[in-house]
Amino acid sequence: RDDNADFTPPKPHVWGAVQVEQFVQDLEKNGVTDVKVEDTPSGHIIHLQSEDTLIQIEDGSTHIFCEGNEDLRIKLRNILLKCLSKF
Amino acid sequence: LIMKENSLRLVSPSQAMRELGLKEHEIRFTSTVTIHDPQPTQGTVERLYTHLKGILKDHSIQHMPDGSVMIDSVLIKVSGSSEEEETKDFLVSWPYEDEDLGSHLMTLLRKGLPKTVEA
Repeated sequence: RDDNADFTPPKPHVWGAVQVEQFVQDLEKNGVTDVKVEDTPSGHIIHLQSEDTLIQIEDGSTHIFCEGNEDLRIKLRNILLKCLSKF
Repeated sequence: LIMKENSLRLVSPSQAMRELGLKEHEIRFTSTVTIHDPQPTQGTVERLYTHLKGILKDHSIQHMPDGSVMIDSVLIKVSGSSEEEETKDFLVSWPYEDEDLGSHLMTLLRKGLPKTVEA
């Protein structure tokens, strides 16, 4: 029996800030092209218009709001993680 | 594990980041699942709570005063869909640290709720 069968490694700790230009470029490289960037007093909001999805980027946080499309959410999560430092 | 001034110390990841002057980046997801459910919202929340209690035995599941349900650090809020009263929107919100549970709950909710649940 594999005693580690139920073990899931903890999520990496993520630090730093998201460079919005790089993030948008990475989105486009991954086929997410319908992107509108809006500046806010505390950061940026990226609107994926055809997907009804918002990404709110601030200095120390990112919040992804999507409408139930798990494939898209996971894609956005992976692109975001590549833009941040982790250990 | 931090090596500083020729000594090794084991500290929590958050403390290590503070000592190294690194600023943690918080990631949060909020997503929505719409389910056909003609019952009043209160009844849907009760069924959701009992359903999750039955299948997620290793997690802390709480009924919050504002009517939402909290599973560890994942929050689920139920509201009547604005377009059609027979459907409910389940708003699911979680931090990246609870990604596995958040993603699992999205999959569970997309399968719908049982019509009745045993108390």
